[in-house]
Amino acid sequence: MTALPPLESAIQTLRILLPELLLLVVATVMMTAGAFVRLPRKVWSRTSAIALILAGLVLLLIRNEVYDPYQGVFVNDAMSLYARLLFIVAGLIVLGLAHDQVDDARAAEFFGCLLVINAGAMLVSGANELVFLFVGLELVSIPTYLLLYLPRRTATTQEAATKYFFLSIFSSGLLLFGMAYLYGLTGVSNLKSLAFLSATMSGIPQIPFGLIALIFIMAGLGFRVAAVPFHFYAPDVYEGSPAIMAALLAWVPKGLGFVAILRTLVAFISATGAGSAISDKAALLAGILAVITMTLGNTVALAQNNLKRLLAYSSIAHAGYLMIGVAVTFRNGASGGVALGAEGLLFYLAAYAAMTLGAFGVIIAVNSGDRAVETVDDMAGLAQSHRGLALQMAICLFSLAGIPPLAGFVGKFELFAAAWSASKGEDAGLFQLIALAGAINSAIGAYYYLRLVVVMFLRPLRGKPFSVRMTLPTGAAVLACTLLTIILGLAASPMLTATHEAAVAVSTLPDPTGLENLTVGGDPAK
Amino acid sequence: MASLLLLTVFLPLVGAAVLAASPGLDYRKARRNALVVVLATLALSLFLLAGFDPDKSRPQFGFEDGDGSFGFPWMGQLGVRFALGVDGVSLWLFALTSLLMITAVFSSWESIKERAATHYALLLSLQTGLLGLFASLDVVMFYIFFEFTLIPLFFLIGLYGGHDRKRASVTFFLYTLAGSLLTLLGVIALVGVYYSHTGILTFSMPELTKGLATLKWDGWFEADSWASPQVVIFLLLFAGFAIKVPMFPFHTWLPLAHVEAPTAGSILLAGVMLKVGGYGLFRFNLAMTPLGAQFLFPWLAALSVIGIVYGALAALAQTDVKRLVAYSSVSHMGFIVLGLFSLNGTGMDGAMIQMINHGITTGALFACVGVFYERYHTREMAELGGLWNWSPLWAFFLILASLGSAAVPLLNGFVGEFPILLGMYRRSPPHAVIAAIGMVLGAYYLLWMLERVVFGPLKEPHVHGSDDSASHGAADSHGHGHAHSHARPIGWHEIAGLTPLMVLIVFIGVYPKPFFDRLRPATEPVVANITAEEHHAKATKPVTAFARPESAPTPPQPAAPATNVSPRGHSL
Repeated sequence: MTALPPLESAIQTLRILLPELLLLVVATVMMTAGAFVRLPRKVWSRTSAIALILAGLVLLLIRNEVYDPYQGVFVNDAMSLYARLLFIVAGLIVLGLAHDQVDDARAAEFFGCLLVINAGAMLVSGANELVFLFVGLELVSIPTYLLLYLPRRTATTQEAATKYFFLSIFSSGLLLFGMAYLYGLTGVSNLKSLAFLSATMSGIPQIPFGLIALIFIMAGLGFRVAAVPFHFYAPDVYEGSPAIMAALLAWVPKGLGFVAILRTLVAFISATGAGSAISDKAALLAGILAVITMTLGNTVALAQNNLKRLLAYSSIAHAGYLMIGVAVTFRNGASGGVALGAEGLLFYLAAYAAMTLGAFGVIIAVNSGDRAVETVDDMAGLAQSHRGLALQMAICLFSLAGIPPLAGFVGKFELFAAAWSASKGEDAGLFQLIALAGAINSAIGAYYYLRLVVVMFLRPLRGKPFSVRMTLPTGAAVLACTLLTIILGLAASPMLTATHEAAVAVSTLPDPTGLENLTVGGDPAK
Repeated sequence: MASLLLLTVFLPLVGAAVLAASPGLDYRKARRNALVVVLATLALSLFLLAGFDPDKSRPQFGFEDGDGSFGFPWMGQLGVRFALGVDGVSLWLFALTSLLMITAVFSSWESIKERAATHYALLLSLQTGLLGLFASLDVVMFYIFFEFTLIPLFFLIGLYGGHDRKRASVTFFLYTLAGSLLTLLGVIALVGVYYSHTGILTFSMPELTKGLATLKWDGWFEADSWASPQVVIFLLLFAGFAIKVPMFPFHTWLPLAHVEAPTAGSILLAGVMLKVGGYGLFRFNLAMTPLGAQFLFPWLAALSVIGIVYGALAALAQTDVKRLVAYSSVSHMGFIVLGLFSLNGTGMDGAMIQMINHGITTGALFACVGVFYERYHTREMAELGGLWNWSPLWAFFLILASLGSAAVPLLNGFVGEFPILLGMYRRSPPHAVIAAIGMVLGAYYLLWMLERVVFGPLKEPHVHGSDDSASHGAADSHGHGHAHSHARPIGWHEIAGLTPLMVLIVFIGVYPKPFFDRLRPATEPVVANITAEEHHAKATKPVTAFARPESAPTPPQPAAPATNVSPRGHSL
């Protein structure tokens, strides 16, 4: 391979980063302008929505730009396309829910932060360089602190923000430590090159250092996805934050964390091939984390009465299900099985985004009036007065519980199928046990989701009637979540194809010999 | 015909969507619309029934590709196909569902007046779930319909049920969901086994059934320990279906759900939903993991006969008519499972036809109970008596359904239970003998119920909606024979709902041939598979294969728990 001159390589990189750049520019302009001009919040929220939609369009335009993955800081592959689109669509939904959750004075910063978070998540989606990936992660973290501090209403909000801040810093430290070791293994920081080296050279990754890297990176990212043992902040922070922030925290860090795990660890672990020492150990680690995380999340959720805490534990439990996908990918990469692990993971992430944001959306909607709805019991009788809302909530909850024909079912089905058929031979039992644990957990989890449905539909109203001031964007966002939950369940085919392509892209190595031609051919002007 | 089947399955869902879109609809309009939909569905089902070729064992009315695979791709990447089609076994269950829906709609005719549109929408979406389940040729589709039925039934029980409806609906939902998640793993395992040994990723039921029976992997045909593949997968699949049936230790959700469910819910729950368990056992456990069934035979047979005797004794102890019928279901479903696990053609055919019979008789019994519950608001036998005097026609219906259920010759129950006992006798005489005792007990509690409710002087509790003193006066003064009841007379809709069932009770009892003729081509390949796999197993592992059937019967086992429960049976 011949390296491109620095300038051209930079221009190429900037071209495939256009959507992120667009978002960042708009965000910067908004945050700067917000200090000087007072505009109503709807101006800011609309600007953000337009920026997101434009970013999506630009993304579709540049989706075929190919760039040498062994050089670039960013790969524009199927995985990157899938995850970036997912973050944009989910970002629009979050925006719809958030549009009236902030007062005019802080609107510019608030929506600016949302855009930066989205840009950061999209950067991580295609990051191909350790440092670049870390920049993407921090681009999400720092505006998140800001968003958590912005409301500054009560002591609990502040406590939640502080808790999140310190833990997040701590986890970033762990992550950097792990990344340093990862770099130390080979001396390259390009992730595809790292994977190429570990696939082709014996003795790479070296086991002790590889394990240190693995454990610390898993720990650092485990905080973001709220996996055991780094889950404990989630219930407190969700409960202490406004519902919109809880929704954001339930989705963005989780999606981001799993995408980052796929980008960093899968690259070098699954490249070593199924059955290598490090792949077995990594799969075991992720498998154990998966089982403990979902069991803890589900069982503790049974005892929750606060809605946000309940959904926090539910989100922990889902981190466990998603971790199954990680374990299977560590073991098998892009081969074997009825379904690929990464495929199930990516599908489930989309399903999770739709159903969790939908559930939070309903909570935001029922809280939009004078009556505060904090606990499960407060939801009593919602179906009597607000049939549509209750129905949409029920659909999201049934999907979270994994009832067909909804999105959550297809996701769980793929993950369990991937796990069950993951490995043959002596350690086949391990993955079968993981699948079994997943099935049993889904049954446990169904209880608390069903409890909410029972409360909404089968109990009479208590106390003051619900006051719902439904606005168009909130309603549209909740409806979009519900429809996506149904469509991803009933017509999963296009999504399954997309996730399969993405999974193959993230866990295989591009052919290093043919790439030179590709790069030249892709840019005829040079 | 293929599109006709598609239409039949999804027509009720369309009806449900229309009804759900107008929740405030007057109950008269709602029930009329629902009736039109279920009648149209029944007409389509009958049309399919008439067009069914009884000689073919291959599923019919499916879209077929040139290469012989059914349906069209649905979840492309996974290989899941949208494939519908019915064979002789599913055909009858399909028709039974359409028929019982009529009874269900008619039995809610007067009793559901509030939120009626939602009620009928739930009923209709349940129908699509059930029809789709029986017509699925793809395991994932089957599973999706299987689980989907939980949602409408959950709301039917939870919204329209009795006093304890919340607990009943939640228990029902979680219990069945827990089991069916394990079934999902079993399904995945089947597909995984087939995929890893042939490289073909398919979820098609006919293909898997055929492929697994001739798998080029000797380990698959070794079923001599709890860890052998067929046994493990059998148990996973069994978890969901055993709860659905329900088999003996997993039956605890059933009395609660039945008693709390509204009449229409009970009819469908007992009439069709329980059959889903039996159907699943046949389609999956017996057709795909027969050696697992063979290995576990002692346990399965023991559980079945315990269920038969326990259900009968528990039914004897009931004072509530609906609970009595609910426990009788536990007992009768025990027969069906026993017939299935006899693993021979006689028993299996008997079990399949008994599923239809039980659906008809139990549906009729629950509908009859619903008729008087709607009027008297009690189901306690102590408060009722001599209802022949209130409505001889209704009493005739109840008696006929009870006799059919008690397997009196020339009525339908006999046609099913006799081959079951015969088939079981061939495999293991002691189990057949104990099951026969259960049959006698079955006749006993049903006749005893009839004696208390139907015969004797008229005894009515306070009649809802009529004058207090008048009704008490009636109950006191008209002590003998020709009494006047103040309860509303039996309505045309109730007669219309019950008559077809009565006709079938007699028809199947007298002339079951058309039923067996269509069933057999579908059960024969499964029986042939079982025999072939047993031979295969003998060829690879001669010792265990010969030892198994001999060690199968464990007579003391079923007897012991039966005596344990008998004190409860006699306590009342």
